[in-house]
Amino acid sequence: MANLKDIRTRIASVKSTQQVTSAMKMVSAAKLRKAQDAIIQMRPYADKLSEVLYSVSSNLSSDIENKYAKRSSTNKVLIVAITSNRGLCGGFNSNVIKRTVELVSVTYKDLAKKNKVDVVAIGKKAVDGLKSKGIKVSNSYLELYDKLNFASVSEIAQTIMDSYANGDYDHIELVYNQFKNAAIQNLVNEQFLPVGDLTQTETEPKPKKSGYKPSYFFEPSMQEIVVKIIPQSLKIQFFKAILDSVASEHGARMTAMHKATDNAFELIRELKLNYNKARQASITNEILEIVSGANAMKG
Amino acid sequence: MLYLEIISPEKLLFAGEITIIKLPGVSGSFEIMKNHVPIISTLKQGKIKVKETSGIVSYFDVEGGLVEASNNEVKVLVE
Repeated sequence: MANLKDIRTRIASVKSTQQVTSAMKMVSAAKLRKAQDAIIQMRPYADKLSEVLYSVSSNLSSDIENKYAKRSSTNKVLIVAITSNRGLCGGFNSNVIKRTVELVSVTYKDLAKKNKVDVVAIGKKAVDGLKSKGIKVSNSYLELYDKLNFASVSEIAQTIMDSYANGDYDHIELVYNQFKNAAIQNLVNEQFLPVGDLTQTETEPKPKKSGYKPSYFFEPSMQEIVVKIIPQSLKIQFFKAILDSVASEHGARMTAMHKATDNAFELIRELKLNYNKARQASITNEILEIVSGANAMKG
Repeated sequence: MLYLEIISPEKLLFAGEITIIKLPGVSGSFEIMKNHVPIISTLKQGKIKVKETSGIVSYFDVEGGLVEASNNEVKVLVE
């Protein structure tokens, strides 16, 4: 049995770890609330934008000239892996890395052999994780989370969209954790570019209460409006992915830290039991020594 | 009376009853008052001028955006 002092130091260290994990849990809970608020704040904008995009593009009969449209062949693929800058959040980051590795080595195996698959990493953990798996990261954004706002995200989105428009890539995919609730994150890989069918937006606008559909007056022409809205809605899609990832990160960290706190609690309980056992054993020993000493004196 | 919402991707910038709004449209500045024809238009960089029913005039700087107005409801999406 370990000696008393050892156990005492262990208990002290587990206790301070527990304090740290429970504090981290609190911090994550507060940050999660903020991240969720950001998602909710963005929703009216995104809804309105897709509503306008829907009502404009459903009025257009012919396909619009669009530099983000689908191309006939897929020669070069870009994968954007979105993780966090910090760890201690369970499987949050490793899941993204695992999926990215899977995409490179299974889904786009043939293209990867010809060096036609690039990976862009957002977040420090993606850079480190992918490097250790032997995947080259062509570009990375690490400071994004320091000052997270629409402008900084849309800058990155613009760079990525430009590389598609220039013909550097023919297919761009995002890998990130979609936020469901504090305990559940869904890992998704989502096609970012080319843009899908415009009239098939995922959030089909609800018909207005009166059922009256206004016939809009467009200025400038519908085509020009669509050409302007598409990049904006792509940026919003990217922004949403980042916000989802941030909220998921805090949710995952909260759950992980909750578990860690519980584990520390259990560990302390066991250690205390051992400590008391050892303490009693030493007392018994001492008494035994005294008694046998006294007996020896008598004898 | 005209109901106006100015929305950015990060937050709601303005919501309330107004009498007139002046917008920097791509093909020229224009104003929307009560009973304007339903319109969808894109905006260029400039200033939005809003006059509330209470008479307060406020300005918003925009980099670009989108406006949709119908049924005396104006929604401005700004960047």
